[in-house]
Amino acid sequence: MGATVKTLPRKGASLKERLYLIEIVKGMATTFGHFFRNLLDNRRLYVRHYPEVQPEIPVRWRGRHRLTTHEDGTVKCVACFMCQTNCPANCIQITAGERLDGRTEKMPVKFTIDLLECIYCGYCVEACPLDAIRMDTGIFSVTGDKRSSFVLELSDLLATKGAFAEEDYKKGGA
Amino acid sequence: MSALDIFMVVVRVAFSAFIPLCFIAVCVWMERRGAGFFQDRSGPNRANIFGFRAAGLVQNLADAAKLIFKEDVTSGHIKHKFYFVLAPLIVFFTAVVSFAVVPFADTLVLGGKSYLMQGIPLDLGILWFLSFVGFSVYGIILAGWSSTNKYGVLGGLRSAAQVISYEIPMGLAIVSLLVVYGTIHLNEIAQFQGRLLFGFIPMWGAVLQPLGLVIFIVAAFAETNRTPFDLAEGESELVAGFHVEYSAMKFAVFFMGEYVALFVSSAMIVTLFFGGYQVPFLSTATLINNAKPVAFLLMVAVPVAMHYFAGWIRRSNVSHYPRENDPRVFEAEIYIKCFWGLVIFLEVVLLLILFADKGGPAAHIFVMLLQMATFLVKVTMMIFVYIWVRWTLPRFRYDQLQRLGWQTLLPLALLNIFVTSAVVVALS
Repeated sequence: MGATVKTLPRKGASLKERLYLIEIVKGMATTFGHFFRNLLDNRRLYVRHYPEVQPEIPVRWRGRHRLTTHEDGTVKCVACFMCQTNCPANCIQITAGERLDGRTEKMPVKFTIDLLECIYCGYCVEACPLDAIRMDTGIFSVTGDKRSSFVLELSDLLATKGAFAEEDYKKGGA
Repeated sequence: MSALDIFMVVVRVAFSAFIPLCFIAVCVWMERRGAGFFQDRSGPNRANIFGFRAAGLVQNLADAAKLIFKEDVTSGHIKHKFYFVLAPLIVFFTAVVSFAVVPFADTLVLGGKSYLMQGIPLDLGILWFLSFVGFSVYGIILAGWSSTNKYGVLGGLRSAAQVISYEIPMGLAIVSLLVVYGTIHLNEIAQFQGRLLFGFIPMWGAVLQPLGLVIFIVAAFAETNRTPFDLAEGESELVAGFHVEYSAMKFAVFFMGEYVALFVSSAMIVTLFFGGYQVPFLSTATLINNAKPVAFLLMVAVPVAMHYFAGWIRRSNVSHYPRENDPRVFEAEIYIKCFWGLVIFLEVVLLLILFADKGGPAAHIFVMLLQMATFLVKVTMMIFVYIWVRWTLPRFRYDQLQRLGWQTLLPLALLNIFVTSAVVVALS
């Protein structure tokens, strides 16, 4: 199969274009149109008035992480290290311990995510066999005044709730 | 020297020294809000004092406060600290001083004496401007060299080569203008442009010298280091070019110098090509003789304009998202009241003109103020053109810049001189 060759017309060779001034005037007319439109009515600016108006976060959007729990509030994570192994940025550090609530044998004693290392790829969510880690908090802005405030502990990850309804999240194809 | 003489000296020096400085704030504001509107965004409009944002002008105060309190770093590798500090001062000083010869109103006749309305009453005129504009590039070259930084040196070198290339077309464009006007004195040039061509077209330089206008504006853009000729600081290639090592107020002085230069070259373009301080179609003598009808017309026109302006403020100054008791509506009402106060003040002044003697000193002062206002409006429009071009055109490549300067503008400027001289000789 031969490649189809499409010859694009080269611009800038005609006398009118080489005079340059005419094209400049055309371009300036375009930009002035934008300026004048916005000057007359600044409601038409293509601007979201952040932070008063927040962006709409869709369900599949990968935000800050959280750890999910069973209905009785026990952590779903069984410290299988799948997410830590999969993480391309090496931002997850798990310490496993004995589980005492009777569900399984293991649970994380420590579960830290360094958000300064995290690249928000979502591989941890895909790797998790038990749907224990999710990125559905809808938090897109992580701020802090020192490095340690970006390292999330187990309690921080459990404290945040998901921003979306369960069926919406399932529909999202996670 | 009478008290009036001293007062007039103070007024003229104050005008030509402080107006360029005041226009720094206006230029920066126009540039940033203008850039926003050109790009369909809103520009800085959040900084406020007690909720009053003055359409974003308060941002200038915030910027100034930030630049003043920043650490003034002079890197250890800089050997010639004296020249390093001197460079921004040269840029700023030459920019301010070059405005001194630009007339901002026609010669004022008071008590039988005439006062030349420009900062320094020199006869050098345009030569003074050319010399100081040429000198201001020394500041840029010095900054680049004394930074001991490859980007700085490259920026300085580019600036030097660019100024050499563009001073020549600029000078030649001015030569053909001088052939037309027959004088280098800027006030006489402005007076010349107060006449009418064929009785209905203002005899502006732009009408008599359209090619000269294009060449001069292009060269003036290059001289002020503005886009599309801002190669000296092309940030994608040279980080910041000549001012890469400058911070805090040393950078701010460069920045302000650049905007003063913008103001001055706009003033120069207006004076040479757009009639300077002349009100279109109304020469100084006509204005003085008809001060009362003009004042009456203004008395009618100003409130009408203000009415529409108030409507625009009311429409524009609202929050564009649902908000209870929108404080910006209150803010807008305050602005409208302030502007109406100004209008009432203007009306009172104009009323005084209506009751003053015909052709007396009041009429002369009224015409002077009117011409100052006209001059400033024209300059503001020219500054807007600078901003407009900056947010429309991409930067030239260096070889394109040199080719445009030497192969296009220089022959065109020479051609312009020949044609102009032939026409002037044929007509005289």
